[in-house]
Amino acid sequence: MEKIIAYTGYKKKDFSACLGCKICASVCTLNDFSMHANPQGLLLKILLGDNTITDDPLIKNCVSCYRCTDACPWQIRVPEVVRAIRETLELSSPFEKAFKGSISIWGRVYEPYIFMNAIGFLIKNGYLKHLMKWTEYISFHLPHKIKRI
Amino acid sequence: MEYSYYPGCSLTGSAKRLDMATRKILLTLGYTIKEIPEWNCCGAVEYGNKEELIRLSRENLKKAEAVSKTIIAPCPACYRNLKESNRDGDFNIYNPLDMFNVADINKLEIKKDLKKMVFTPYYGCVLLRPKETAIKNRNIIEEIITNFGGEIDGEKIRDRCCGGNLFFSNKEMTEKCVNLIASRSKGIFVVYCPLCHMALNTFSNRKVVYITNIILYMLGERKNI
Repeated sequence: MEKIIAYTGYKKKDFSACLGCKICASVCTLNDFSMHANPQGLLLKILLGDNTITDDPLIKNCVSCYRCTDACPWQIRVPEVVRAIRETLELSSPFEKAFKGSISIWGRVYEPYIFMNAIGFLIKNGYLKHLMKWTEYISFHLPHKIKRI
Repeated sequence: MEYSYYPGCSLTGSAKRLDMATRKILLTLGYTIKEIPEWNCCGAVEYGNKEELIRLSRENLKKAEAVSKTIIAPCPACYRNLKESNRDGDFNIYNPLDMFNVADINKLEIKKDLKKMVFTPYYGCVLLRPKETAIKNRNIIEEIITNFGGEIDGEKIRDRCCGGNLFFSNKEMTEKCVNLIASRSKGIFVVYCPLCHMALNTFSNRKVVYITNIILYMLGERKNI
């Protein structure tokens, strides 16, 4: 839990600032699809050190839209909290791992590398059926390795 | 005055056309831009450790000093990350949408208008939220379109999420978000984000264009929108 809090960029006491008004839940994109998301509950669980956060629908589905932040009286950045939890629990998809892999090799994202590295994941999860719609994104270029990060 | 230009990774690959169009329009509007030498990836939204994410963009700010402390960053994710890392406020960071305005475009030679065309301006998340990193004029796309005779639809979904962040981890969520947006709007989607472009294009059957396409069309640089 300490690691999660450190990753968010907040301090533990910052989580106690939440007023419990749940305006975040009222604007949450997930609730447009009846997914029972409650960002306020997630913040409270972190403050209390409750390990059931892994089951929260936000962990799998938060789209990082910042609607909650926009509505929050304290502008609490729930999406960044969710990302910290995902990183701590090592929930990255193979695509996201390849993304970071590309950055560590070249310092930049080289899309063909990510595509090839995550090809198994993309096939298994039915991404290739979209290929026809992606032709306009294809442009040939070689990777550029930057001198330093 | 010379501006630092930070294209970002997408604009060197899948959104190359957005890069070329943005450079062209900025040049036409009289901005002199120079790419930041040896810029690195901003990390987009892939880093759960905020300090690590901020560090990447701080490196870019250091590299930008060689050109100018006023930076133009087209990709919304890069733009946001650069702004976040500018904690001391030493740099001025803009999205090209901050540079586009109706008065300046009006001064150019407009060859075609947008009459009888219907558009859904779609900003998505990052350009408008959080407030402290949002673009200056939150209606810029609408202003450009209506000023040149185009019609607007889908005002209520302009800042809904396309779910693009989860495109490559949980695409069912992206599909749901796009279906919601598409069902509450009509016409051509007008975006300025490579990820919104990809999400809307993949899961809706509507045409999706960058606002730069529209400007270049009006200037006679493109045959079609």
